[in-house]
Amino acid sequence: MLTIALSKGRLAEQAIELLERAGYDCTAAKEKSRKLILEDEKTGLRFIMAKPADVPTYVEYGAADLGVVGKDTLLEEGRQLYEVIDLGFGKCRMCVAGPKELKDGKLDKIPNKRVGTKYPNITRAYFEGVKKESVEIIKLNGSVELAPLIGLSEVIVDIVESGRTLYENGLDVIETIADISARVVVNRVSMKMKSDEITPMIEKLKTQVEIMNSNKEE
Amino acid sequence: MSSKFYTPDGFNDTLPGVCAFKKDAESKLRRLFFLHGYQEIETPGFEYADIYTKPDFVKEEDLYKLTDSKGRLLCARYDGTIPAARYAATLAKDKFPLRLSYIENMYRFNQTGGGRQSEFTQAGAELMGIAGSDSDAEVIAMAIRSALEVGVTDLQVSIGQTGLFEGAVNQAGLDEETAGIIRNAIVAKDPVTIERVAGEKDLSDNDRDMFLMFAQPSGDADTVEEIRDFFTDPKATEAIKNLEEIMEALSDYGYDKYVSIDPGLLGSVDYYTGVVFKGYTYEVGFPIIGGGRYNKTVGAFGRDMECVGFSLGLSLAITALIRQGLELTDPVAEAVVGYEKGNKDARVSAITLAEQMRLGGTTVILDTSSKSEEELNAFADDNDIGTVFWFDGGEK
Repeated sequence: MLTIALSKGRLAEQAIELLERAGYDCTAAKEKSRKLILEDEKTGLRFIMAKPADVPTYVEYGAADLGVVGKDTLLEEGRQLYEVIDLGFGKCRMCVAGPKELKDGKLDKIPNKRVGTKYPNITRAYFEGVKKESVEIIKLNGSVELAPLIGLSEVIVDIVESGRTLYENGLDVIETIADISARVVVNRVSMKMKSDEITPMIEKLKTQVEIMNSNKEE
Repeated sequence: MSSKFYTPDGFNDTLPGVCAFKKDAESKLRRLFFLHGYQEIETPGFEYADIYTKPDFVKEEDLYKLTDSKGRLLCARYDGTIPAARYAATLAKDKFPLRLSYIENMYRFNQTGGGRQSEFTQAGAELMGIAGSDSDAEVIAMAIRSALEVGVTDLQVSIGQTGLFEGAVNQAGLDEETAGIIRNAIVAKDPVTIERVAGEKDLSDNDRDMFLMFAQPSGDADTVEEIRDFFTDPKATEAIKNLEEIMEALSDYGYDKYVSIDPGLLGSVDYYTGVVFKGYTYEVGFPIIGGGRYNKTVGAFGRDMECVGFSLGLSLAITALIRQGLELTDPVAEAVVGYEKGNKDARVSAITLAEQMRLGGTTVILDTSSKSEEELNAFADDNDIGTVFWFDGGEK
């Protein structure tokens, strides 16, 4: 039995679609219900529907063997996991964003910046590790764009997909921290102990991802 | 005033049942170490924090810290190897090779979940003062035996060698920063980053495939033949020879079925200097065995010495066994002996009988709570005690 942790929402749907194309019967996972554990004894697959930020935890502790989760969550959680496939969907960027006026290096002129974000660990790693400066991090839980608009912070760190929310609020991307997409992660012990089931699954998923990517290029 | 009736995070009681099993496992391990000539040592519960942090073996924030009366920073015992290395470098004089073992509680901050606790018991052995593949194999065999002795039979041990990656870095001519990026990608089994870096640095096809091989999801190979051809660097060739000899020796121990080669097992840079290995079982998210060769470590205490060792996470192994379905039995006693209240003769007979039975190895409770014969029988039933003796004035 393999336990797969999925990030509730769009990412779970895409992951299930991919698994089906790779030849895995996911009828159980598509069941429209409020059940959090969806199990199919015939296929030997058990799906758990978790909050995205919790997927790395389930997988690191071995409660799930595999998981599908965004790179943003992986960077923020910093868990010890195998990150075996870049699925190529759920694409976006982790960015420093703020008022347009701060573009072209003007951001660096502000000392002791305040940064609003849902991702305090990524923010700290970027400003302290890459830019070598200390910042005041203000942890927020949503609608992060508000912070610079009402003077809670100078800039924000957040994921940006199309950038529409930013533009409509007079903000813009100032710096890109990392490219984000969905990843397949595997527990380190499961990789060893259930290699007979996991290795072929990884290979099949990789093949599907390659087909998907080559279709996109055409 | 608030009273805390619960234990701190990461610290647990070990209660009857589990405790009996654990103590029994400890006795078996102690016997195993003794039979192989690994002398047991106890090191202090607190050490100067420097012994872990000055050579950068352990992150400061992972230690439980306190100060002594002069304000110097101490830490609770974090592992068994570093104190053993301190001992070997300073006090052991010239009695080498040295075979040491320990079974002790370790303390690690910020480490709970997936079967791990902040306080946990490790059993380990260190072989100090000799090098060579045979000594590597001896310690890996000890690690496997330890796990089997405790009852872990679904065991898989992966063996790597730090020289493989070092050699690969030399061979590809990577600078330190790039090597670091690739190293992290291998640890995360992330082929995407390796492909990207290989492209940027214009690596040869062989060298790119070599680094990708390190990051293979299930990195395990049965023999070195599958990886040999990637390497030309002497450091890596030497590492392959070491692995080959270790696998051969382990097959002489009869342990082939437990071991495989994992080139992607890199070990911590500052610590390991040769073979590295990890042991896994089902139902816990972390390895239960860790070990390897650490020739630099004793040097940090002023004396260079070749060492190899392992530790078995006993608490983690027991958690795994319980989750794998181990039935714990810890009966209160095998027999109970009672006597009529206030009857001196009956008490003498009861005490005498209980003593005799204990000498024969039976666990006996002497009832001192003035139970009647019926109450005593009921007590025995409740506690699964098979045998009941009752003394009153006349017969038992």
